[in-house]
Amino acid sequence: MSLLTLSGVAGGYGDVDIVTGINMHVDAREIVTIAGTNGAGKSTLIKAVMGYLPRLSGRIEFDGHDLRSLSTEKRAGIGISYVPQVRNIFSTLTVLENLQVVEKVADSRKRIAEMFDMFPALASRRRTQAGNLSGGERQQLAFARALMSSPRLILLDEPSAALSPALTELVFAEVRKLPATGAAVLMVEQRARQALAFSDRGYILDSGKIVLTDTGSALLANEKMAELYLGSKPVEPVQAS
Amino acid sequence: MDWINITNAAINGIVLGLLLALPALAVTLVFGIARFPHAAVGDYMTFGAYTAILVQSFMSASLVAAALIASAATAFLSLFFYAWVFRSLSQRSPVSSLIASIGVAFAVRSVITFFAGQSQYVIEAPLVRAWNFSGVRILPTDLYVAATAVLALAAVFFMLHFTAFGRRMRAVADNPELAAASGIRVREVMITLSVIVGAFCGLGGMLMGFKAVVLPELGWELILPIFASVILGGIGSPVGAVCGMILFGISQEIASLYVGASYKLVLAFVVLLLVLLIRPQGMFGKIIAVR
Repeated sequence: MSLLTLSGVAGGYGDVDIVTGINMHVDAREIVTIAGTNGAGKSTLIKAVMGYLPRLSGRIEFDGHDLRSLSTEKRAGIGISYVPQVRNIFSTLTVLENLQVVEKVADSRKRIAEMFDMFPALASRRRTQAGNLSGGERQQLAFARALMSSPRLILLDEPSAALSPALTELVFAEVRKLPATGAAVLMVEQRARQALAFSDRGYILDSGKIVLTDTGSALLANEKMAELYLGSKPVEPVQAS
Repeated sequence: MDWINITNAAINGIVLGLLLALPALAVTLVFGIARFPHAAVGDYMTFGAYTAILVQSFMSASLVAAALIASAATAFLSLFFYAWVFRSLSQRSPVSSLIASIGVAFAVRSVITFFAGQSQYVIEAPLVRAWNFSGVRILPTDLYVAATAVLALAAVFFMLHFTAFGRRMRAVADNPELAAASGIRVREVMITLSVIVGAFCGLGGMLMGFKAVVLPELGWELILPIFASVILGGIGSPVGAVCGMILFGISQEIASLYVGASYKLVLAFVVLLLVLLIRPQGMFGKIIAVR
């Protein structure tokens, strides 16, 4: 049985549906990437799972729970974490407070120590106001905050947004480690080629509908689809002769 | 104008500023967390002052009992209006909540006027002689008022910065969506906020009853100076609200020596306009972009 299952999900913010007829699943400890063109409804889908969508139909199940009957905070309580694309930390709180504020943590002190072991750059800045961190440190803090509750599913909304290529690599390296913590990952990513390269599976979204699903490597191998939905291949650096 | 008069006016201003810092802190907390300017805060103060008078008239002459019951009753009133009005407006524009809070203010004042009329009341306090230091006078009652306000303010600052619940409140103020995604029960935070707002306004109203006669318009006439001070300190900044209110109290009392007491309120508008023009973010606020 899948960890997360979406059946016939449709919804949006106003009268018009942004996503329609969505059927998808995420299994335990796998990385699943949602890719597609701009405005395809990728982030809307993630928000639907976290409970931010004001209008929604269909069925969303997580580990036997009907998510539609649960508030966002209750969804967090049953093991779903969310890292938004922007404003993914509490910038007026310190690094330590960002971790302390997470609810439903059995032994908060121990877990915070584990987070500082996992992200050593944060340990030395525990008393720093989070708004003063660098881009990379902020992303690490966002991950640490999301991992505090030992979630079984982490929703990542464009984790590489506004990051340099070098920082993107670092962030993706962190994402690759997440299944080892016991969490499955459902990720929306603009840099889809890079993300699918390490994803177990992927879904391609177009105009609010799933148009293709396959393993990450198979989606990348489908040249025509990849060209249409994943953009051009990154230019290979020229070797000096 | 000699320095003794100015010092006495400054002392009055500090006391007034400290006691009005209670509702000012309530305004800034509501603005920071629930994101609307709460215009009923002044009338919650009036309700607190009348509750204290009721307690003194029918139950106990004890000022402590009057303060506790006034705070508790106003906390209940604030909670009632949160549950009845503001909770259902929380997903709408802040303007809806602002207009609703003006409606709540009118409703509270009208009910008070209906039952108490326009008669003037006073909160009974023991008559004490002012301490005189070469012309500089300090009333012991003023010291009690200031000390009570300082204790209440210190309790809230301690709660905000040194307790888990305070962290949750600051997290909701910073980013309510992320707070919910972190498992924080936002509604629980809002309920506690309503209780704090009511308790502070009730206490502030009761303390104000020492300094002024109690009328149904007591709090409503203070709402503009309170808003002006919150803007002066920096909207959403608790420290700013307290410092802004004290500074405002001192400047208002000193200015009244020169322009007369009737024009004190004019100063509230002048300060408000000047701050908005010169430093829109206030003393402790940060510039925020509005989308």
